[in-house]
Amino acid sequence: MDGKQEIIETEIAMGPVHSAAIEPYRVRLFVEDEIVRDAEITVGVNHRGIERIMEGLPVEKANSLTEKVCGICSGVHLWNSVLVAEKGLGVEIPERASYIRIIVGELERIHSHLLYLAHGNEVLGHETFSMRLFYIRETVMELLRLIGGNRVQYGVPIIGGIRPRADLDEMKIQRIGEGIDLIEEKLEAFAERFTSDPMIMSRITGVCPISRKDALRLHVTGPTLRATGVDLDVRREMPCYDPFEFEVITQDGGDVRANLLMRVLEIFESVKIIRQALRDLPEGKVVDRSWEMQDTGIVKSYVEAPRGRLYHSYAIEDGRVRGSIIRTPSMSNIGAMQYACIGHHITDAQLGIVQCDPCFTCTDRAIEIVDMSDNPRR
Amino acid sequence: MDPSYSAVTVLGTLILGLLVSLWLPGIERKFVHARIQQRIGPPLSSPGLMAALKFFYKKTVRPSSPLPGLYNSLPIMGFISALLILLFLIPPMYSIGALASLVAIVGFLKIEEVIYVFMGSLSRSVMSMGMPFPDLARGAKYPDVNRYFLEDLSSMRAFRLIAFGSFPIYLAIFVPAVLSGSIFLKDIVAYQAVHGPVIFTMAGVIGAVVFFIGYMILLNEYPFAILKTKADVIEGPYMEYAARYRAFVYITRGFLMFTLGCLFSVLFLGVPPDILSWGILVNIAVAAVLPVLMAIFSAFAPVFTFKQFYPVTVAASVLGVLALVTAFV
Repeated sequence: MDGKQEIIETEIAMGPVHSAAIEPYRVRLFVEDEIVRDAEITVGVNHRGIERIMEGLPVEKANSLTEKVCGICSGVHLWNSVLVAEKGLGVEIPERASYIRIIVGELERIHSHLLYLAHGNEVLGHETFSMRLFYIRETVMELLRLIGGNRVQYGVPIIGGIRPRADLDEMKIQRIGEGIDLIEEKLEAFAERFTSDPMIMSRITGVCPISRKDALRLHVTGPTLRATGVDLDVRREMPCYDPFEFEVITQDGGDVRANLLMRVLEIFESVKIIRQALRDLPEGKVVDRSWEMQDTGIVKSYVEAPRGRLYHSYAIEDGRVRGSIIRTPSMSNIGAMQYACIGHHITDAQLGIVQCDPCFTCTDRAIEIVDMSDNPRR
Repeated sequence: MDPSYSAVTVLGTLILGLLVSLWLPGIERKFVHARIQQRIGPPLSSPGLMAALKFFYKKTVRPSSPLPGLYNSLPIMGFISALLILLFLIPPMYSIGALASLVAIVGFLKIEEVIYVFMGSLSRSVMSMGMPFPDLARGAKYPDVNRYFLEDLSSMRAFRLIAFGSFPIYLAIFVPAVLSGSIFLKDIVAYQAVHGPVIFTMAGVIGAVVFFIGYMILLNEYPFAILKTKADVIEGPYMEYAARYRAFVYITRGFLMFTLGCLFSVLFLGVPPDILSWGILVNIAVAAVLPVLMAIFSAFAPVFTFKQFYPVTVAASVLGVLALVTAFV
């Protein structure tokens, strides 16, 4: 037993079912006088083995299954999975399809960030702000339903482009334009009210900070990393984002305040991208079906999901998926969630976890390798 | 005074108080929280009346507690202590001098506060239940540490609140006593009948503000809801109460709102609760206005941790002392 263990005498375990967590996970807080000295987060309650189910499925079917990885960012999982196949098969998609994928991706980012903000406010105890953010989010959900036919799992990308039903006509373009105007207006009003509230600012400023150095050490990704001042966004490396002008938002401090403001500002950038996409939407077909199935090696693809860098890879063998691996951004951020709590009050600890925007259900795909070589009963 | 007349006054006022109190949580949630949050909200009768009725007819689940008998009786004790405060605010009871005094009221309020400590320490919810063997799911860095239940945490917080959180309300309660020169309710009411309500004095205004802050702390309302913060201890001391015991929790909360409203009326307006007097309307109005104000504040506030709680309580206590000093002057 090392010195640290001798000091820590009390543990408070929360979860896997807890009102502050919208998903099942278990956090063990090791505390002294309500101050967290160490934390341990355990996932595994919602492990569904999607990669294993994908094994041997036809590619299109396996792609559809990836939408079930996450209920919040279902679209980006499908997009990335389709990108793996397109990269492997060398499929070029029509420009119009690329623009519509980006519109859906950015709308999804907006609704995910709004959910994050609403949940953050709920954990803060500010039910009113939480409700108001959910109202703003409702507009986005309806826009996604307008495009894809569903509020979640809209199934827009397919190999070669997008589903024809998700094509945008004049009415849809107009309604999306009006919708994002409304979101921008309401979010501006919210941001002004939120940042000028001294009670809220005192609750979130300097709470659970992660330094830039620690964020890099802990392999933090996405907005949580950018909230520490690191200017890193996969969208800049994605060729489909080349026609669009947008800023990669960064904040300093890595605390709850920086993380919350980070998401608000990113929503404005997403609105900017959607406006450009709607304005410059090219004419033409939305799907190219001239590609041919062939075997590929393991192909990797990264996209910037709302929570950060999302990784998908698999090989294609006889039109079927082999060796699929999915790595979600929250998986990278778990270390930061544990780290952010340390030295803070228990009530703030949950805020420290939430600031990293955890999505444990989509993270729940880890396999722990246990060395059984010394076990006589193996 | 005719004893039968007094009995009617006392019983009538208590029953009326109970009936009114059943609607107060509904007013708070339907007309304030829901309106501010732009949602429909629950039916007016739901939070205070129908929820309590529903729970009375639910099957009682025996909670996991080291002292289940005591644990289950605590909500009833809380209700009785709120009932006793209201009882001794009614004029015919002023003849029992010692109990119809501020010292007795402070004592009854202390019971309310201490009950939370016991509730928390006697509750063992499944929320923090550990495995009967070291939890090795992911390393388990500290296998031999003591495990606290979430309710233990709220119990410790309740203990801290007794130490500092209740200062504002007690300081405010004694402002009318300083002005009237007596701790007996009879004298405080008589003083205000002659000199006008205390709230129209500088000390009274400050005292009323401090009373209101203390009122919110005592009722564990946001931003002072550290005993039952959703982010960590969830329902805190009430976590394991089910069926009729939970019904008592709901009834007690509404009843305490009414009782504290009446206490405010007596101390700052000089209007005691008496069903046979028009003054009862003032009591009911105050009992309804305070939760409405509280709900407005709570709807726009995040929950405080001790970092914010300490300065607010200290500031409120300083204001309370200022009110007392002003009253002396």
